[in-house]
Amino acid sequence: MKHMRTIAGIIALGSLWGFAECIIGSWLRDANLPAGSIMTAVFGIGLMVFSKTLFPQRGVQLGMGLVAGTLRLLNPFGGCFICSAIAIMAEGALFEVFWMWVSSDLREVRPVAMQSCLGIISGYILYVGGYTITQILTPLFSSAGFDASNLIAFIPQIFASGLLPAIIGAFTVPVVIASRRVSVSIKDSLYYPVTATIAVASWCLVIANTIILLYL
Amino acid sequence: MGKANIVLTCGALAVILLGSICTVYVTKTQAKQESLTINNQSFTIDQLFAQTATRQFTDLNFTGIALDDAIRVADVTNPESHQYTIIGADGYQKTVTWDNLQHGLLTKHRQAVFTDLPKAFRVRDVVTIEVKSL
Repeated sequence: MKHMRTIAGIIALGSLWGFAECIIGSWLRDANLPAGSIMTAVFGIGLMVFSKTLFPQRGVQLGMGLVAGTLRLLNPFGGCFICSAIAIMAEGALFEVFWMWVSSDLREVRPVAMQSCLGIISGYILYVGGYTITQILTPLFSSAGFDASNLIAFIPQIFASGLLPAIIGAFTVPVVIASRRVSVSIKDSLYYPVTATIAVASWCLVIANTIILLYL
Repeated sequence: MGKANIVLTCGALAVILLGSICTVYVTKTQAKQESLTINNQSFTIDQLFAQTATRQFTDLNFTGIALDDAIRVADVTNPESHQYTIIGADGYQKTVTWDNLQHGLLTKHRQAVFTDLPKAFRVRDVVTIEVKSL
C-alpha cells in the first residue's frame, strides 16, 4: 500500500514537471528567456526536492524524470524535444545520485546557507550533466551519429551555461525546504483522487496543446 | 562547521568559480565575423545566396540556400566522400554527412537547419564549414 502511494506520487509530480517543461517552457522560450536554466533550477529541482521531503525512498526522482521526459516526448514543439526529454530523464538520474548522501530529513540540512550551497551544486550538476548527456545521446538517435570532437569543442560553453541554474538553485532549495514547515496534509481518502487528477490533467493538457498546435 | 558543511561550501564555490571562468572564456573567444568560411574559402552570405539554389522547408518555416550547393561552390571534389563540421560563432558545432547536407539549408541569418536530423543539429550564426575526409 505504501509503495502504491509512492508510485502515485511519482506519477503526479513527474507529470507536473513534464507539464511545466512543455507548456511553461514554451512560454519562456517565446519570451526569449533562458527556458532551460529556469526549468531545471525552478521546476526540476523544486519538484524533486519537494518529492524528497514527501518520499524518502530511493528511485523517486529517477521515476519522476522518466515520467516527465516521456511527457516531453509527446510535445514536439519548443526547441529540441528529443534533447529535452533526454535531459529531463538525465536530471532525474543525476539528482538521485547526488542527493543519495543528503539526509532524507531535509530539516536536518541547516543553516539556510548550506541549503543554498546544495541548490548551487544541484543546479550546476543537473544542468551541465543533462546538457552533456543530450549532446552524446541525441546524435546517436540520428543518421549523423556522435562525434566526440563536437562535444569537446563545446565543453567550455556547456560549463559556462551551468552558472545561471546554479544561481537560481541557490534560492529554490531553501524556499522548498522552508515551504515544508507549512504543513499541508491530504486526507487518505483524497490522496489517490488528487494525485490521479494532477497526472491526468497534466497529460491531457500537454496532448491537447500538441493537437492544437499541429492541426489548428 | 561540520565536515559536510565544509564540503558543501567548497563544492558550491568551486562550481561558481568554474562557471564564471568558463563564461569569461566563452565571451572572449566568441567569433565575430561577417564572412563564412567553407573548405578554407571565405564567402559573404550574399555571395553564397547569389551562387546557389534556394531551398525551402515549408513545414518548418525556413527558407535559405541548399547546403550541398554551398559545398559545391567551395570546390569540394567527391563531396559524398567527406564529412562536414558546421561551426557556429559561439563554438557550437555539429558534424554531418553529405546525405544530411542534402536535407539542409542555410538561412540568410546564417542558421543551418536540417529536416532529417534533430533540432540539436541546428547551428546558429554559422562561421565555418570544415570539410573532413571520411
